[in-house]
Amino acid sequence: MNTGPDCGKLCPEWSCIDPREYRGVWVVAEVDEDGIKEASLQMMTPALKIASNLGEEVTGVLVGYGVERYSEELIAHGASRVIVVDDPRLSTYYPDVYAKVVASLAEKFKSRVILVAATMRGREMAPYIANTLRTGITADCTDFDVDPETREVVMIRPPFGAIMLAHIKTPTRRPQIGTARPNVFPVPPRDESRRGEVVRVNLEDIPKPSARLVSVRKIPREEVPIEKAEVIVSGGKGVGGPEGFKLLERLAQLLGGVVAGSRKAVDAGWLPPERQVGQTGKTVKPVIYIAVGISGAAQHMFGVREAGVIVAINTDPNAPIFRQADYGVIADYREVIPRLIELLESAKGSNRRSNLGT
Amino acid sequence: MRVVVGIKWVPNTQAVRFDPRTGTLLREGVPSIVNPHDLVAVEFALELRDKYGGEVIAITMAPPSALKGLEHVIGMGVDRGILITDRVFAGADTLATSYVIAHAIRKIEREIGHVDLAVFGQETIDSSTAHIGAQTASWLGWPYLYYVTKAEPVDGKLIVERTLEDRVEVYELELPAVVAVAMRSRKPRPVRLANKIRAKLEKPLIIWSNKELGLDPRCVGLRGSPTVVAKITFTPEVPRKKKIYRPRSGDDAAHWILKSLLADEKASKILRRILGGEM
Ligand SMILES: Cc1cc2nc3c(=O)[nH]c(=O)nc-3n(C[C@H](O)[C@H](O)[C@H](O)COP(=O)(O)OP(=O)(O)OC[C@H]3O[C@@H](n4cnc5c(N)ncnc54)[C@H](O)[C@@H]3O)c2cc1C
Ligand SMILES: Nc1ncnc2c1ncn2[C@@H]1O[C@H](COP(=O)(O)O)[C@@H](O)[C@H]1O
Repeated sequence: MNTGPDCGKLCPEWSCIDPREYRGVWVVAEVDEDGIKEASLQMMTPALKIASNLGEEVTGVLVGYGVERYSEELIAHGASRVIVVDDPRLSTYYPDVYAKVVASLAEKFKSRVILVAATMRGREMAPYIANTLRTGITADCTDFDVDPETREVVMIRPPFGAIMLAHIKTPTRRPQIGTARPNVFPVPPRDESRRGEVVRVNLEDIPKPSARLVSVRKIPREEVPIEKAEVIVSGGKGVGGPEGFKLLERLAQLLGGVVAGSRKAVDAGWLPPERQVGQTGKTVKPVIYIAVGISGAAQHMFGVREAGVIVAINTDPNAPIFRQADYGVIADYREVIPRLIELLESAKGSNRRSNLGT
Repeated sequence: MRVVVGIKWVPNTQAVRFDPRTGTLLREGVPSIVNPHDLVAVEFALELRDKYGGEVIAITMAPPSALKGLEHVIGMGVDRGILITDRVFAGADTLATSYVIAHAIRKIEREIGHVDLAVFGQETIDSSTAHIGAQTASWLGWPYLYYVTKAEPVDGKLIVERTLEDRVEVYELELPAVVAVAMRSRKPRPVRLANKIRAKLEKPLIIWSNKELGLDPRCVGLRGSPTVVAKITFTPEVPRKKKIYRPRSGDDAAHWILKSLLADEKASKILRRILGGEM
């Protein structure tokens, strides 16, 4: 598609555009009353990579009411420019309204790529942006690439069970849209000295919502979320029940960590869904991941690619987890974990005593 | 209420093969099922009908073998099923799929009657994009919400509850609307033979090809899809030490784990900190 558009060949519902006119990589940032989402800042990492491969720049996009103050945050994390629509009519998030606002900005500024963090709101809103623009969208990307010849951005995602990666292009449409799940990318380093341009856009037309937010109730989440933990003790089907998970909980406590698990453990009701690790759960990056009674299915292991060290305890010597762990023990966890707990308790105790002595 | 629910016929296996030339999925020989999360959406739709009356219509864009999937949800109690099938629809990405689904809903409105609500699953197990709900809402111009757990029609509107990472929200949606149902929000009811028999006698399954839908071939299937799978590669393996130990006892195993971690360049620092001694 380097010869310009041949729109007669394309669906007449799509506006005729020339892909060559589109520039820049956008990150649409999600903001709520607690501020800008870390997952949105994480999207700056792939955005900066794509932009530097293209020799273009990263733009942050803020849509809402009272959101302009987050511009500096985006600039400090790598945005050269921030486009802000700050409007009381946008004080409440409605996916279609926000999506249409982002789409109208994309048309106005002709952005090449739009990245959105695949938080729940992001997953809800991003496909509507794509559809409004009649363009392609790739969900849950794990990497991005730029074709050196055509300068096309390639969105890479693992479909159908995390074993394979699909490399997806959007030859005729712009912008190209991609999402990535929280924690797949790190937040780029913050640099207060960075300067960037803030572009305020006043939109005359902001679509009226056909929905009304009636009430919001925050769910108190007192425990450490698994994506923040440095040590995770993770249990699978092989743990066998809530009793076993109590044992894992004790081990996790001793290690200053948290308990997580496989989808089968969540499906069995032994753990709440927000503690599921994997492709349809969370991506975690602990320093130590102890997998107990987990077979090591590709969809599960997808969530621990970034883990520092993986320890596996499994009775089955042929379990695939042993081919993906650093330290594997072929044993029944019910014999190993209680001993490990004792060992840690006594090690902690003796260290405390020896510290007292010095 | 007339509720349309979108279901997808998906391969029931993790061993999915690809055509490396076209980058499309090869379904032959792979047994298929209704996407499990769509059964939750069907249950959600049936609960609304059972409580407030009306009918539930299941639609799927799929090869003809998906009639089995429609029969399954009819067995759960869905009133009728529509299979949308045509060679020109093959190879569609989510934009082109939602285009066909939205037009099928329009056709239902013209030929069967006013649609109040379109219900989707949270995502599919084969592609898990969670795009179709939002994209269908966009083609139709209807309001929409994801992760819905409860719904109740009140004064011609729909009160819906949904749960995000850290909050429960209640919205009032103008109808018609689109909702995607939270995947663990309810248990799908079992199939009953009586339902299957009654449906067979009363309203047979409907099949629409593009002859009936009359869509521009440039807007559907591979041609109507802005995204193109350029290639498929294997996920690169993460290098791991793969040290495996067969202990004589639990005690033996516990010692080995602790010793290994204390000697590991990545794990030792944090473990020493945890154990309390800055050794
Ligand atoms: C589209 C898709 C997405 C998915 N997403 C996810 C996801 O996000 N996360 C996820 O985890 N899964 C996911 N799955 C499911 C995944 O394929 C596996 O089914 C799941 O991870 C298996 O869980 P498990 O290892 O706990 O159970 P199993 O595979 O049943 O393994 C249990 C293991 O426990 C061992 N065991 C039994 N008793 C003991 C004992 N006493 N001591 C020690 N070991 C014991 C057994 O040897 C066995 O290896 C997904 C699947 C699909 C198709
Ligand atoms: N081919 C299809 N026909 C009907 N409904 C579909 C189809 N594909 C997806 N859906 C619906 O859209 C939801 C989201 O699908 P996906 O975007 O593929 O994750 C599914 O849970 C289904 O309810």
